[in-house]
Formats: sequence, structure tokens, C-alpha cells
Amino acid sequence: MNRTPKMLNSKVAGYSSLITFAILLIAWLAGFSSRLFAVIRFESIIHEFDPWFNYRATAYMVQNGWYNFLNWFDERAWYPLGRIVGGTVYPGLMITSGGIHWLLHVLNIPVHIRDICVFLAPVFSGLTSISTYLLTKELWSAGAGLFAASFIAIVPGYISRSVAGSYDNEGIAIFALQFTYFLWVRSVKTGSVFWSAAAALSYFYMVSAWGGYVFIINLIPLHVFVLLIMGRYSPRLLTSYSTFYILGLLFSMQIPFVGFQPIRTSEHMAALGVFVLLMAVATLRHLQSVLSRHEFRKLFIVGGLLVGVGVFVAVVVLTMLGVVAPWSGRFYSLWDTGYAKIHIPIIASVSEHQPTTWFSFFFDLHILVCAFPVGVWYCIKQINDERVFVVLYAISAVYFAGVMVRLMLTLTPVVCMLAGVAFSGLLDVFLQEDSSKRMGTAINTATEVDEAEDSIEKKTLYDKAGKLKHRTKHDAQQDTGISSNLKSIVILAVLMLLMMFAVHCTWVTSNAYSSPSIVLAFHNSQDGSRNILDDFREAYYWLSQNTADDARVMSWWDYGYQIAGMANRTTLVDNNTWNNSHIALVGKAMSSTEEKSYEIMTSLDVDYVLVIFGGVIGYSGDDINKFLWMVRIAEGEHPKDIKESDYFTDRGEFRVDAEGAPALLNCLMYKLSYYRFGELKLDYRGPSGYDRTRNAVIGNKDFDLTYLEEAYTTEHWLVRIYRVKKPHEFNRPSLKTKERTIPPANFISRKNSKRRKGYIRNRPVVVKGKRTLK
Amino acid sequence: MGTNYVIYLALSALLFAFTAKAEIVNTNVERTLDLTSQLVKATTKISAEDSAGKPIAEYVFFTSEPSLAYISVKDNADRNVQIKTNEPVKGEQSFTFTFPKASAKQTFVVETVASKSILPHPEEIKQNDKQFVKYAGNLHLYSKYKTNSQKTNVKLSSSNILSHTQVKPFSVSSNKITLGPYENAEAFSQEALVIHYENSSPFVTVNYLERTLEISHWGNIAVQESIQMTHTGAKLKGSFSRYDFQKEGRSGLAALKSYKTYLPASASGVYYRDTNGNISTSNMNSVRDFIELELRPRFPLFGGWKTQYTLGYNVPSYEYMFSDGNKYQLKMNLIDHIYDNMAIDEATIKIILPEGSSDIKLSTPYSISRLPNELVHTYLDTTGRPVISFSKSNLVESHISDFTLYYSFSKISMLQEPLLVSGFIYIIFLATIVFLRLDFSITSHAHKE
Repeated sequence: MNRTPKMLNSKVAGYSSLITFAILLIAWLAGFSSRLFAVIRFESIIHEFDPWFNYRATAYMVQNGWYNFLNWFDERAWYPLGRIVGGTVYPGLMITSGGIHWLLHVLNIPVHIRDICVFLAPVFSGLTSISTYLLTKELWSAGAGLFAASFIAIVPGYISRSVAGSYDNEGIAIFALQFTYFLWVRSVKTGSVFWSAAAALSYFYMVSAWGGYVFIINLIPLHVFVLLIMGRYSPRLLTSYSTFYILGLLFSMQIPFVGFQPIRTSEHMAALGVFVLLMAVATLRHLQSVLSRHEFRKLFIVGGLLVGVGVFVAVVVLTMLGVVAPWSGRFYSLWDTGYAKIHIPIIASVSEHQPTTWFSFFFDLHILVCAFPVGVWYCIKQINDERVFVVLYAISAVYFAGVMVRLMLTLTPVVCMLAGVAFSGLLDVFLQEDSSKRMGTAINTATEVDEAEDSIEKKTLYDKAGKLKHRTKHDAQQDTGISSNLKSIVILAVLMLLMMFAVHCTWVTSNAYSSPSIVLAFHNSQDGSRNILDDFREAYYWLSQNTADDARVMSWWDYGYQIAGMANRTTLVDNNTWNNSHIALVGKAMSSTEEKSYEIMTSLDVDYVLVIFGGVIGYSGDDINKFLWMVRIAEGEHPKDIKESDYFTDRGEFRVDAEGAPALLNCLMYKLSYYRFGELKLDYRGPSGYDRTRNAVIGNKDFDLTYLEEAYTTEHWLVRIYRVKKPHEFNRPSLKTKERTIPPANFISRKNSKRRKGYIRNRPVVVKGKRTLK
Repeated sequence: MGTNYVIYLALSALLFAFTAKAEIVNTNVERTLDLTSQLVKATTKISAEDSAGKPIAEYVFFTSEPSLAYISVKDNADRNVQIKTNEPVKGEQSFTFTFPKASAKQTFVVETVASKSILPHPEEIKQNDKQFVKYAGNLHLYSKYKTNSQKTNVKLSSSNILSHTQVKPFSVSSNKITLGPYENAEAFSQEALVIHYENSSPFVTVNYLERTLEISHWGNIAVQESIQMTHTGAKLKGSFSRYDFQKEGRSGLAALKSYKTYLPASASGVYYRDTNGNISTSNMNSVRDFIELELRPRFPLFGGWKTQYTLGYNVPSYEYMFSDGNKYQLKMNLIDHIYDNMAIDEATIKIILPEGSSDIKLSTPYSISRLPNELVHTYLDTTGRPVISFSKSNLVESHISDFTLYYSFSKISMLQEPLLVSGFIYIIFLATIVFLRLDFSITSHAHKE
């Protein structure tokens, strides 16, 4: 009797680990391959804007070494200011791909760094799903973990940031986030210094990778705080949090970009406060065990008040003294969603900083968004230390995702985990076969399987309270007995849902998130052939080949990283929007008349101006459509020269046709976009100068450029590059002959032959030895 | 030139004094100058005779072209004539031909191709202007010997001739100019021949070509050519207007919009890319015995504009490799076609042989400058693959011919790579098995359960 279950156990354990391994492997492969749409449809290429900077920085690091990278002063960005890249970047991404590159080259595998960068995010999505599995397993069960791992492998909310080619911090940061949480939960469960040190290390990686580490350093203290309030203090908590906090603090300060922020900014103060609180609670607990009840109560009230007041005063004083910086604007806009729109137009102008629509929750998460509250409910119903964590994670992530589209990303993992819990709970109930007959044995085996698993995989497990409860609940449910028909109907329905989820994920990935955005493709409606618009690379390559190496290119900041990455030319502003006034200056140049902007451009040594113009092909993301942001940002810094209202018609419309505002029709951006467009007939019947993006015939057709000349325009006119003429190259606008003569003034010279010398009336006469006469 | 002339006269006078009797005379010279492209392709048919009736075995041929790229000589029986390049004297290049059969009368055809002899004039034009070029050469055959009678036919790219040297007799008919016959020219006689005419063919020069051939004994040869090219015709003056370029046919006539590259018929896996990725504007047509690749640079190449790209493809190795036991022989084109009438300033050819190749011997159809051998490490390499590299400057289409590379390679070394992979996987499994059975914890698990 003793031997058989053991053998059975080891056999079942073998199968279950094989199944686990197989499912995780398949999840990895599925996640990897569903991110390859863009590579297969187009090519292995870096997407969009920010990834181009990351790629450029990585290539620089691979070429020049780590220390040169840390000290890199990029004089090709933010001309004439330059940018200290090493100290203003989260280097985790570059280190990761640089490390992979180094390893492969040591093994004589000559993979180009670009391919490593392109495929980094898909590879890391597999690691993310494994760490999600581990975390969910800690929180609930292995089955739920497998569900969660499969969900996160293909869920669009995460794919949107991790398709092949989208080489951005988020790609590796979500892995680091999940892995840190897993290690944290495990360290809370075990109270082991080892796990909390591991959590701190993983947190270090997260800090090096993404600014979203602030989420961790606020969520974990929140977890500890809530546990304290719930009276769930334990020495394990004390050990794990104090280890994690101290190590994490020290580690995070090693990143040059973070530096002293963890002890000086408000974002990090909660962690410190909770640390102090935890210490206080621990001290009190200790004192409680030493002192008598009466003494303790006195001490508690007096000490608690003193400490509370002391901490509050200290924080306020430090903030006022400027030692602790108040919240940064980006962070502040998380609490007050209207803040950015009023104070920081540059943040509000980015589409991914807009509040999330209801639609996009469903679009990105599909069925999971419905199953997710069920998982939260399960977790609340059967609460324990780590489930408090996941509930807090869920609530805060939902809030942040609602504020900013971009933070959908932090919501996705927790939704996957809790949906995994929900589906796993559902199947637990409905997948128990023949429970009425073999109920006893089944439960027995299940228990033993669990134990076997535990003994293999969770050697240091401390707390089985959750599990036991979980089981007893199932016992109770199974006693009620569900008919097999109902079971199969429910299971079929669930499978259908999951299938539809998979279909939806693939569809969304393929249609919404797999466009490199620097290569556009459209299908010809007549013969169904696929045409490729490669104008961006055409223009950037032209710049890289046919302009001087030190030429300075002015463009709106969206294209800064791409110009630096693909054309390797100096830019004035780029997507690292650290200097608002410089951007405003470029905005002012774009929205002033040619003459005025020429002054700005010569003062900034601009050689070329690059504008994006979609009017020929109907590309809506062009510079004219972004133009109001330029005006707004310029107005913020130069309110005397630029007024947003000047660019609207009297009826408050923004239009480019003949009724448009004169300021708009004569500004530099308008002229550069529409130069010689007025002559162009797009089709035989239509009028010339018809803008397809704005569906209007342009208002200012016949004009010439004085200070600039067209240097290059791409095949579909999408990118237009102008050369700024040097002062000797252009004819200054001519003055009419009438205006050239100087008008005679009412001045008659009194000089005649007699009085040739001028004299000063009432001139004081100086006589030696006497005072001056007045 | 004048002093040269005097010196040569003096030299030849001396020469004549010593070998007064054995005098070679060009009895008849017919030259055809093809100036339709950026290259000067001259075909010169020379009939030479020894005045003393002695058999002619050697003939010294001078060239007046400053950048002669290619020369070949055939005698009247269409046999190749040996060419020896002499040391240039005062910048004048000469060649000594050794005929296969010495006879008193020799008739032979010299073909020369020169680049950079036709220069744009004016040097800068606007986008809608036509490109005019100027050719400056010699009206006579520049020869060490006296020439009795000579005639020059010039073929131009268009009938739009602005000016040309008018030494009678001459005739012009549409795009052809016939100069001569001119009688009794002295040795080393020179007279300027200048033709100023319209030439709208794009003057594109490959500044640098790096051709890499990677040989795999698993049946594949990977060819990769990275090319830097410049439009060396008249430079674009002022602005470029896309509107004019799209609407007006006469705009940018001399700009390079696309060109054709011919690849071997068995080429597969063709890629055409630059540092920014794939260049999506190319077409591939398979013709019977070659592949025609229509390449369009990312942007039309106007005068003075540059571009760079990489073109690569794979060919099966059985077409180019021959073996005898462990001895191998590789026969491939030293350079390949890039575009019609191409001119290459500088080319470097690299041949990467499999790991463990030895006894490497290279034979080329014309002289090259050999670069030091290197080692390259790529997939699954341990000791590195030997790289044979050499360079050659000033190449034209006529240089497309085979080189031969001999080397030995033991077939057993081919097993090295599969063994390496399986060994590696085996070690990983072994390490996993061992690792899972080890216990690294520093505490005992007494508290558990």
C-alpha cells in the first residue's frame, strides 16, 4: 500500500512535468511566431520611432564597448546642445542584446546586431510567459499558471509592444516585472533572504530596463502596507521586505539615469515610508513581547504619534527644501488626467499618452477582460498573503490602464493571470470526470499528486492554507454533483470561447500591431496586388548618401530618432523630448513665415528641413495634421510671436483650402508641404492641388521659396527635404524702386560758407584755477 | 606634350640610326571609336609591314588614353596575341605584342576600352537640361611607327553634335563622324581630336566593389557584392524637383533610374539591400541562360549623387567546382556584370574557403594585386576559414572572365561540423541530467513537511 502510490506519484509527476514543459514550450513558440507577422510580410527591420534610437545606441555599444557607451555624448542629437546618452538612458535593453551579441560572436555565430534587436522582444515574450506561469503557480495552482502562460503568450495587449522589430524597453521589462513579482511573492511566502535578494536582483534588471520600475517600487510597499493593516504581519514579511528594499535601493541607484532619485523623489518615498513603518511595527511587536500590557499601550500611543508627526514633518520639510523632488509631470499626469493637456502639451501630443477607450480594453484583452473579475473574486474569496498582492496589482493596474493607453501593458499580465485563475477554477469544477463514482479515489490521487508536485518543485513551501481550502471547497462542490451533459456543454462553451480568443488575438496582431510604420503597404483594389511605399527609407537613405556628413536636419521631433538611425545625420530635436524650449523653437520655425523662420534656422545652423506630407497618397499622419501641436508647443514658449488662434479661421476651423487662416497659408510648414503641389493633378478630372488627406484644394497654390530650395522629394511625395540656402545664394526679396529712395527729412543744413565749424551752445568755459561757470 | 614629342623624336631618331633597315610601317590603320556610352571603346585594325621585308615578331603599341582599362589583340586568323605591358615612360603606356607567327606582313585588331576619357561639359547642369560631354583624343594613331594611311570612324550616342575637330577630309552623317583617310603620318604624331556632343546615357561609376564568394562543400556558393556607385556625369545644379521629374519626359534624362544586372541562371535566394534594409524596388526575370535583375536604387541617381547597396545570391557549387580526390578546383567569374558599360574604379575579391583548406593556388586571367590572406570565423568554426583576397583597379565589362583557384580539402573534415553540433547537444543533456540530481542548498530541509 505504501509503495504503489509512490510509484504512481512519481509517474504522474513525470507526466505532469512533461505536460508543463510541453505547454510552456508551445506557448513560447506560439508567442514567438505570432509576433513574426511583420518580419514575414516585410523584412527583419526595426519599427517605428523609439526602437530606432535603441537600435542605434545598441549598435554604438556593440561597436565601441560598454564604457564608451556609458560616456557617450551624442553630438548628433539636439544640435547644438547634444545629448549625454549614457546618463539619460535605461541601459538594460542595450546590455541584454549586446550581451547576446557578444555571446553569439564568442561562439562564432556572426549574427548581425539588427537581427538580435529585431527578435529580442519575441524571444523575451517566451520568458515572460514562463515567469507568468511561475507567478500564477505561486498564487493559485500550476493549472492556472499554464493558462496564464498561454494567455500572455498571445494576448494583443502585450503583443502590441513586443512584435518582432519593436525593439523597445517594454519588450524585456514585462518579463522583468513578472519575474520580480514572482520572486517577491515567493520571498514573502518563504521569508527567505535568498528569494528576496533574488527579487532585488531582478528588480535591478527591471530598473535598468524601463522607467516603469516605479510601479514595482510602489506596488510592493503597498502590498506590505496592506498586509500590515490586515494584521498579517509576520517575521517573514519583515525579512523579505527589508532585504528587498535595502538591496533594491542600492541596486537601483547604480543605474546612472536613476542615480539618487530613489532617495530624493516623491515617487520613491512610499517605499521608504513603508520600510520605516514595518520597522516600527517590528519594534513594537518585539516590545510587546517584552513589556507589560499597560506600558506597551502608553508607549504605542505616544511613540506612534511622535513617529507619525516626525515622518510627515520630515517629508514636507525635505520637499520644501528641494531635497526631495516633487512628482514629475509625467507621473503627476497619472493622477490628474487633465494636467498634461494644460501644462505639458508635449506629453499630451503623444497618442499613447491619451486615456484609454473602453473599446481598447476589449480589443487588447478580449475574453480575458470578462474572466478577469472572476479571478479577482476567487482571490478575494480565498485570501492569503500573496493573493492580497495580486488583488492590489489588479486594482492599481486597472486604474493606470484607464489613465493612459500605454499602461495597458502593465494591466495585461495581471489580467492574464487572473483570467487563468478563473478558467482554471471553472475547469476544476467541470472537468472532474465521473466524480460521483470514483470521487474518493480521485480526490486522493489529486491530493497526492499535488503533494508530489510540491515535494519536487516547491521544496521550501511554508503555507498550504490556500491549497487546503481550495481542495475542501472542491469537495463541497463535487458533492452537489453536476450532470455530465451540463459539464460537456460548459466545457465546449469554454473551449469555444478560448478558440475565439485565439482567433481574435491572431487577427488583432496581424492587422493592428504588425506594421513597421516605416514601410507602408497597401493593396491595390483593382488587381489585388500589394504595393509597398518605401518613401521614408528612400528619403533617409538619400540624406545619408548625398548630404555632407555633418549636415543638420531640422524636422518635427517625431522623426528625430529615425533620421539619426537611418540617415545618420545631426538632428535638432528628437523623440527624447527632454528640452521643451528647443522643441518650441523648431515649432516656431515651422509655424512662422519663411522670412522669420530663416532667421531661426540660420541661428540654429540648419542645413536641411525635412517635412512629411501625405497629401498625394492620403497618409493621415503627416506634418500638416500634427501642425497644431507644433503651434501649441511654440505658443507655450513664445506666446508673443505665435498664437494658436491665428491658425484657425474665424469660425474656429483648421483648414488648408482658400478659406484657411492667412497665418497658416503662409507659414513655413504649409509652404514646404505644398511647394509645387498646386501644379500637380492627381487625376485627369480633378482639380490641381487637391490634397487627398484633407480632401480639399489647397488655398495657396502659387508661391516660390526664397530662402530654401527643394533638395529631394520621394516618389510619393511623402517625405520632402529642402535645403536652406546660404546667405549669398538667394536674392533677397527685391524692394520696389520707389521704396529704395530714402524719403527726404525736414532738415535744412545751417552750414554755409561762413559758419563751417560746428559749435556747442552754452559750452562751459574752463578757466584754470577757477570753478566752472554755469 | 611638345617636349615629349621632341624627346621621342630624338629617341626614335637614335633608334632608327641603329636599326635603320628594320623599319616597321603601318600601311593601313582603321580605327572605330565607340563613344555612345561613358566608355571609349576603340577597335583598331592595323596592317603593318617591315620595309626591309623582315618577318615581324614583335610590335610595340602605344596608347594615348590616360586611363586604359582593357586591351586585347587578335591577329587576322583570330588568334590571341601575347601582350607584354612595358614600364610606362614619362606616363606613356606601351605594350609589346608578340605574334604567334612572325611574318613580313601582319594584320591585327587591337581592342581597347578606356574609362574617364569622356567628360561632362558643362560640368553642372540643371535638372531639365541635356547632358553634353566632351571627348578629347588623338586624331591619329599614336604609334611608334610611321603610318601610311589611316581612317577613324566615330560613333556617337546622338546626332546632336555641338562641335568637333574639322580636319579635312571628314564627313558627318547623323550620329557618325568619319575622319580621314589621312596619309603619311610621322611616328608619334599627335593632333587633338575633340568632339562635343550630347550623351544622355547615365555616367555611373562603381567606386568600390567588394565581391565575396563563400564556398561551402555542402553544395552551395554564396556570392555577395557590396557596391558603392556615383553618378559621374554632369552634376545636378540647383534644386531637384519631383514635380518636373514626374511630369516632364525631358527631365533628368541622364539620371540613372534603373539598370539591369545579369546573374547566373542557377542563382537563387537573391537579395538586394542596404544598411536600412531591403530595397523593395526590384524585379527578377528568368531568361533562359541567365537571370535578369532589374534594380532600381532607392532614389534616381542624378549627377554627383551616390548610393550604396549589397546584392547577394546563392549558386550551386557543382557548376563551379571540380574535384579529384582531395584536390579541388574552383572556376568562377572574377567580377560579374553590374550594369551595361560599367566602369569599376576599385574592386576587391574575397574568396572564403572551407575550414581546413590548404595548398591554395590562384590563377587569374589578368594581373591582380594579391592581398594578405586572412582567417574568418563564422558558423561552427574552430580554427577559422582561410580567405583569399586580391584587388584590381579600373575594370570594365571585358574583364568578366574566370579565375581558377586550386586547393586541397580532406572530405573527412566535413564531418567536423555535425559532430560538433551533436556533441554540444549531448553535453547539454548530460549537464542537465547531472544538475537536476545535485542539491545545492546550504540548509537541510528538516523544517519541511
